[in-house]
Amino acid sequence: MAGLAATFGSGAMTNSIPEFGTDTNCFLIIGSNTSEGHPLIATRIIKAKERGAKVIVMDPRCNQVASWADLYLPFKPGTDVALFNGMINVIIQEGLADQAFIQERTEGFEELKKLVAEYPPEKVQEITDVPADLLRQAARMYAAAKPAAILYAMGITQHTTGVDNVKSTANLAMLCGNLGIPGGGVNPLRGQNNVQGACDMGGLPNVYPGYQVVTNADVQKKFQEAWGSTGPATVGLTVMDMVNGLEEGKVRALYVMGENPMLSDPDLNHARHCLEKAEFLVVQDIFLTETARLAHVVLPGVSFAEKDGTFTNTERRVQRVRQAIEPIGESRQDWQIVCQVAKQMGGKGFDYASPKEILEEVSRLTPSYGGISFERLEQLGSLQWPCPAPDHPGTAVLHKNKFSRGLGLFTAIPYKPPAELPDAEYPLTLTTGRLMFHFHTGTMTRRSKKLHSEVPEAYIEIHPDDAQRIGLNGGRRVRVVSRRGEIVLGARITKRIKPGIVFIPFHFAEAAANALTNSAMDPVAKIPEYKVCSVRVEPAPQ
Amino acid sequence: MEYRNVLTTCPYCGTGCNFHLQVLDGKLVGVLPAKGHVIADGGMCIKGWNAHAFVHDKERLQKPLIRKNGELVEASWEEALGLVAERLGKVKADNGADSIGILTSAKCTNEENYILQKFARAVIGTNNVDHCARL
Amino acid sequence: MSDRLTLLRETIERVLPEVEGVVALKQGPGGIVAPHLDLPSRPAELEALSLWPKYPVPDTLKIIQKAHPGAKLGVVCRGCEERGIVEMAKHAQIDLANVQLIGLECVTDEATFCRCYKPFTAHATTTVGDKIEGVPDPLADAFLAKSQEERLAFWKEQFLHCIKCYGCRNICPQCFCNVCALEDAIWVETGRLPMPLPPMYHLVRAMHMTAKCVACRECEETCPAGIPLAIQFRLMARDVQQMFGYETGAVIDQKPPQLLVLEEGDYAKTGLPH
Ligand code: SF4
Ligand code: SF4
Ligand code: SF4
Ligand code: SF4
Repeated sequence: MAGLAATFGSGAMTNSIPEFGTDTNCFLIIGSNTSEGHPLIATRIIKAKERGAKVIVMDPRCNQVASWADLYLPFKPGTDVALFNGMINVIIQEGLADQAFIQERTEGFEELKKLVAEYPPEKVQEITDVPADLLRQAARMYAAAKPAAILYAMGITQHTTGVDNVKSTANLAMLCGNLGIPGGGVNPLRGQNNVQGACDMGGLPNVYPGYQVVTNADVQKKFQEAWGSTGPATVGLTVMDMVNGLEEGKVRALYVMGENPMLSDPDLNHARHCLEKAEFLVVQDIFLTETARLAHVVLPGVSFAEKDGTFTNTERRVQRVRQAIEPIGESRQDWQIVCQVAKQMGGKGFDYASPKEILEEVSRLTPSYGGISFERLEQLGSLQWPCPAPDHPGTAVLHKNKFSRGLGLFTAIPYKPPAELPDAEYPLTLTTGRLMFHFHTGTMTRRSKKLHSEVPEAYIEIHPDDAQRIGLNGGRRVRVVSRRGEIVLGARITKRIKPGIVFIPFHFAEAAANALTNSAMDPVAKIPEYKVCSVRVEPAPQ
Repeated sequence: MEYRNVLTTCPYCGTGCNFHLQVLDGKLVGVLPAKGHVIADGGMCIKGWNAHAFVHDKERLQKPLIRKNGELVEASWEEALGLVAERLGKVKADNGADSIGILTSAKCTNEENYILQKFARAVIGTNNVDHCARL
Repeated sequence: MSDRLTLLRETIERVLPEVEGVVALKQGPGGIVAPHLDLPSRPAELEALSLWPKYPVPDTLKIIQKAHPGAKLGVVCRGCEERGIVEMAKHAQIDLANVQLIGLECVTDEATFCRCYKPFTAHATTTVGDKIEGVPDPLADAFLAKSQEERLAFWKEQFLHCIKCYGCRNICPQCFCNVCALEDAIWVETGRLPMPLPPMYHLVRAMHMTAKCVACRECEETCPAGIPLAIQFRLMARDVQQMFGYETGAVIDQKPPQLLVLEEGDYAKTGLPH
């Protein structure tokens, strides 16, 4: 979440889920199919709506929330920045901005103001396809109803312009003074249940636990002393660089715990090719995933039902995972497996009796987790970081009187078109996304009979006009071709998607949408462009 | 005869619902809501309601596997862990710590993630640590 | 308020030696409550005994009974839960002969929360607390005050909010079919959100709950979309009572109307081939 970190100094969700139900007066939802991606956040929004809150949805697909929202703005994928610049233009023009907030708590407003002057609604309509009046209505609705919360998910981060998109949301929120107050904020909804925790724990190449940067000499010293030894003071490789590094021989061995990079990589064929080049690939997982099949050694870990520990949800809330049953077969606790390997390699400081002791070490070394312990969680149920001390109640709303970086930074962001645009050969724009009935790469959900029967097979959504143009009539199978690969799958013809756009869910191995997507990456966050790529759809031979 | 409800956190999305795993005689038999939980408040989505379903799946890995003559075959923990330590040690000795990459997981616990990145940094000696969630 | 809790604990302590276990509520981490099986061998666990919030204990009872047929079990049940158990017994989901009902009478706050017409037990021989009268259901009354069109519009909007979690079916003690029509693509199109209109999911479940729903309101409580589902079931129950003189959970040996089948001799009288 590099975009938010640059703007506020912290990249996490600024507010909390319960506030959506009680405080928020307007929701602006972009790039999130909330009722499928985060169903119990969507249901809070329903309850807020029943007490009178407004709901605005911006998405190329008319999802469930859009179907009952106050305003729905379908826009061309990849034009998010123009959309936000247009809204900001309207709000400034009509004098709806929160001047006091801008003056006291932000910097860079003049540059932003100058830039967005170039984005009047009529011009934005040309770029985004959103009617100028609808854009004006949305801008007014957001500006009028304070506190207003912006919610977004991977739909806006998975673009070459992902960081710009996120900074745009921050611009809009600061413009209307929607930060540091309950019910407002900029709220990235994290996809997998412990993405937040994985980042918090230093599962990133540039930071130790608690976002303590590896290039800082004091931090380096702290961990050197705590652990007895540590890594270099230079930033490591990202997952994409690691996978690519395998091909170049720069990376020789890979240790993968609980992930399926084969399926989650944007360019599937390339990922397979790279992983096959690994001199040594270790996969620790509960199923023989597509990635595990390529491994040299597979270590059976345990599922959430067999382990103790903590997860951190998208609103920084740390909660317990509790062991309900014994490990299946000879599978072992994941933390024990890693500790055993570490000790065999001569590692010191890997003698823990339980996850509880591990969390104690975490809280000693991670200021934001300083007051989080099994004992407190048992008593309180959950704690939201920052929670620096054992008597601290946790933090629901970030940036209350001051941003982590001091002043909030407006960024003037010009609109850049997506890396790949439709042309005569590949005339349609493909976007991928999540289904409620499945989860990420489907390793777990597709093994549940119920979830599987709900959506047993991959499909592509296509607008009736486009279907007719290519000579499809209901229920046929199609071949989808991009510059990187092709897949064959069933078609669902629906008016819920904009003409010119097609949608494929990304949970299915046998027709992996990622075989089609673009590996052009966001230059800062290094998130591959999943959301926009150009394709051709044709009837598949019977 | 034993029946318990174990309060835990949903393994699927980042919303963080809590629910109970219903345990009957050592096996999961279902999921029950957690009334009064700050997020879930007695509800769940379809994924939460089915969160127990994959746990006892027949295809769960039960033993370590090692590739021998191109095939993955079952092995003892001793052999598998020994091999991992030896091969990682060798790659590190031959090509340096930065020739090893470690992927932590958005599906694993904080404690597991902490331990794995500590292993990468303190034992392997590299910052090549990342997870797939940016994907 | 210690009285009801203390009384209940004492009652369970008295019952425990006579049975293999008692299903009751227990408070867990963070103060969150769930059903639990108290065993004679672990009386200390009764320390965490809890009264509220209620849970679908008839289902817990069924799960344990299915795995341990013949085991003698006690169960702490409120009025709605007792009705649930009785109704399940009629459909062969629970073996009533091996169950000792410990009735827990609801207090006014609880009954108001549940909009409950019968917040007391009728069959339990051991009861805890004082019986109070039923309360009206303001939501059902408000619904009845609407015009035909308003009623349709009301449900249409409510069902648009549904996220198809199946929670209302999963939690309902009266929804116990091995093969459920809601998962059959012939009845309900799978994998679509918002669910297509007409709302077959909801219509099918409404039909299947006639003469079965015991008004425990668990479905409504678990509905993440906040849909007041119990209104429809409540009104259907009223109709069933009028038409068939049948009230769920009220009389143990009264057969529910949907279980009335023609006996051998009856077929001949109909003149139909058989
Ligand atoms: S129950 Fe559904 S909404 Fe809640 S955390 Fe699990 S997947 Fe997310
Ligand atoms: S909805 Fe109908 S078919 Fe499904 S479990 Fe309930 S009663 Fe049975
Ligand atoms: S339909 Fe609802 S109120 Fe009726 S028995 Fe089932 S869960 Fe209880
Ligand atoms: S519980 Fe509510 S949201 Fe879930 S399926 Fe039933 S009506 Fe729909």
